[in-house]
Amino acid sequence: MFQVIRRFATSVSNVADIVIIGGGPAGLTLGTALKNSPITKHLKIHLVEGGQIIEPLTSFLETPPPNYLNRVVSLTPSTIGFLDSIGAWSHFNQERTQSYDDIVTYDGVSGARMNFEHPNIATMVETTNIQAGLLSRLNELNSQQEVKLVIQEDTKVISIAKDSITQWPTLQLSNGDSLTCRLLLGCDGYNSPVRHFAGIESRGWSYNRWGVVATLKFADTEFRFPTGWQRFLPTGPLALLPLPNGYTSIVWSTTPELAEMLLSLDETEFLSMVNAGTRLSTEELSMIYDLAKSKSPDLLEQIQWRLNLFADKLKPADEEDFPLQVAEIVTGSRARFPLKLSHADTYVEDRVALVGDAAHTTHPLAGQGLNMGQEDVKSLVEALERATSRGLDIGNSLALEPYFSERWPKNHVLLGVVDKIHKIYSTDFAPFVAARSFGVDVLNSLGPIKDFMVGTISGNSKR
Amino acid sequence: MLIVQQAQKRSFIIPSIISSGLSYLSKDIRLADKMEDGELHFPKTEFEKSQNKSKPLFQRPEPNYPGHVPLYNFEKLLMFLGSSIGAFVNPTNNNFIVSLGESTAFPWVLNRLRTQMLNDPNGRQILKERPHMTSKSLNLDELKNYPDNSLGKSYFLWLEREGVSPDTRVPVKYITDPELAFVFQRYRECHDFYHTITGLPIVREGEIALKLFEFMNLGIPMTGLGALFAPIPIKSSQRRRLLSVYYPWAIKNGTICKPLINVYWEKIMKKDIDVLRSELGIEKPPDMRELRKKAKLKKKQVG
Repeated sequence: MFQVIRRFATSVSNVADIVIIGGGPAGLTLGTALKNSPITKHLKIHLVEGGQIIEPLTSFLETPPPNYLNRVVSLTPSTIGFLDSIGAWSHFNQERTQSYDDIVTYDGVSGARMNFEHPNIATMVETTNIQAGLLSRLNELNSQQEVKLVIQEDTKVISIAKDSITQWPTLQLSNGDSLTCRLLLGCDGYNSPVRHFAGIESRGWSYNRWGVVATLKFADTEFRFPTGWQRFLPTGPLALLPLPNGYTSIVWSTTPELAEMLLSLDETEFLSMVNAGTRLSTEELSMIYDLAKSKSPDLLEQIQWRLNLFADKLKPADEEDFPLQVAEIVTGSRARFPLKLSHADTYVEDRVALVGDAAHTTHPLAGQGLNMGQEDVKSLVEALERATSRGLDIGNSLALEPYFSERWPKNHVLLGVVDKIHKIYSTDFAPFVAARSFGVDVLNSLGPIKDFMVGTISGNSKR
Repeated sequence: MLIVQQAQKRSFIIPSIISSGLSYLSKDIRLADKMEDGELHFPKTEFEKSQNKSKPLFQRPEPNYPGHVPLYNFEKLLMFLGSSIGAFVNPTNNNFIVSLGESTAFPWVLNRLRTQMLNDPNGRQILKERPHMTSKSLNLDELKNYPDNSLGKSYFLWLEREGVSPDTRVPVKYITDPELAFVFQRYRECHDFYHTITGLPIVREGEIALKLFEFMNLGIPMTGLGALFAPIPIKSSQRRRLLSVYYPWAIKNGTICKPLINVYWEKIMKKDIDVLRSELGIEKPPDMRELRKKAKLKKKQVG
């Protein structure tokens, strides 16, 4: 028989089964889960990351930084269950995580509040801790297996194109190599080049809000159980999330002008401002914002005066309705990031799948962005396992479609709900405030419904 | 063929009365209830019994500031009804006006005033220092020596002309929040200064005109009610004068002048009163006492 020999072959390029672009939590979890699963561990996987991650993440576990980093996320029990099932959770630095049992959300205008109580309702973990734990597990898996996952760090993707003959995605990397793969997984964030390559449209809008983050420490006045606080101000929610040893990570989603003002304050003024944000009325806050924007010298004095008045009026029984005052700040931990909503039209295309922020971004008020990404990973890995065990080509839409059909509607609903919550709380128009406060008061007294809400969001897990 | 079965008639009322009565009267049923509650075999200790003593249904809440008398909502409503009728019938009795003011000073009204004060540097200072006007704090003895056209001298002269004193102001009792109570108290105490700066006398007609001026500037409901209803029982000549001269003046000046709640009167006593008027945007209305005197003379000449 004839043997067709290709004489004029294209330049030698690496070929892999799966290429994961992006070494963030989504990409690393995906790589670890695929390597952990006995069904998919034989696949040749490359992880391409534009920055340096191996050295910083290894040194994070060996010599942990003295201060908590300002990028912290709240993980649901379901996410932790998944990380545990792939063997990564035990590699995290557990001392730097804080699990908490209570979430209190209260209205900035009317004070109507909702208490969610459930053992281990969520756990705060630094993003770097997540990545470091996953990398450590990945190294462990690599050492135990023959086919190793290759991490190409400090390597940017110059371009992605479809190979002319096979139609497989081919990447041109910054180190000169080219990489072809059967399946390209985009875990590369909001401006995903993989999504652009696949021609997938992503729809949404900017919230015109910025999230100001900082790492603060509560005043050492009394003992409190770690609690997650969120106050819905008309400009955006202020959340105080617990870290170990009385530290707290704040996320203050607010307008661009106020975000700029918050970052320009000095440290004592910023701490006072956060304390004011958790306690004072919206009229007092407007006065304080105006004083701060005009750089008035007696800003601190005025804030302290209003806080003292508030403390005098507060009955001792109601003191636990508000978080403790913050007294210290980790220098240099203040930062801000823009908030936007986006959802890709589809998660899968021929030989391409999107995971995490490449597929969807959301408002941080519900703390679900990263958790949605982790659920995506779980679902995608299941789909790939199923496809591999049936001998399918994993890049084929048939193999990837179950992932899209399982995750897209659930993510869409969650994105929609979070968006509506943001919109409902963005106003101080009296009838809306009255309606939402009434709703919150009613909902707060319906225990079973609250448990249902908590259960849906945190997923069913044995934890 | 249709067979209609008549439903069995069952008695309902009498058996239910009997069974509910039995749960009181029958010892067996009472013991069974107690056992279900766990009180039969584990009776409550004295301590537990004292803990369960529920609070009485109507217990007045604690006062928030010295002199505070917390009222229930129905009491506030009764106070409003009583004082509004009383103020209409007998406006010379100060108690009616005072009670009407406090029962209609809703939190959102005082909140709005307080926000106005918070947004102004002078207003903030007033809120922080919480000054109370007494004849001592205003140094009434020194005021007579102040320069002629100053605010302090004019105030002193006005006090003498009308025969009143700043010590007769009734303290606020029925407003819940201490800071809002202060705002209302401040309004009450500054009332005399509003008289001074507009030159209106304390006769009934003058008070009504000033009420409308205050309503346009401060928005306090009692002043609005007064401006609306108080002209009804007065003499027609006075009413005509009010409606043609003073009401238009009050509407115009009350709206365009600066919020008077933010003026720190105690600190500007030496200021020239005309300069102050122009800064605030107030024009002096025609002197009411003069107009009344002229009208009386004219009437005497005609009649």
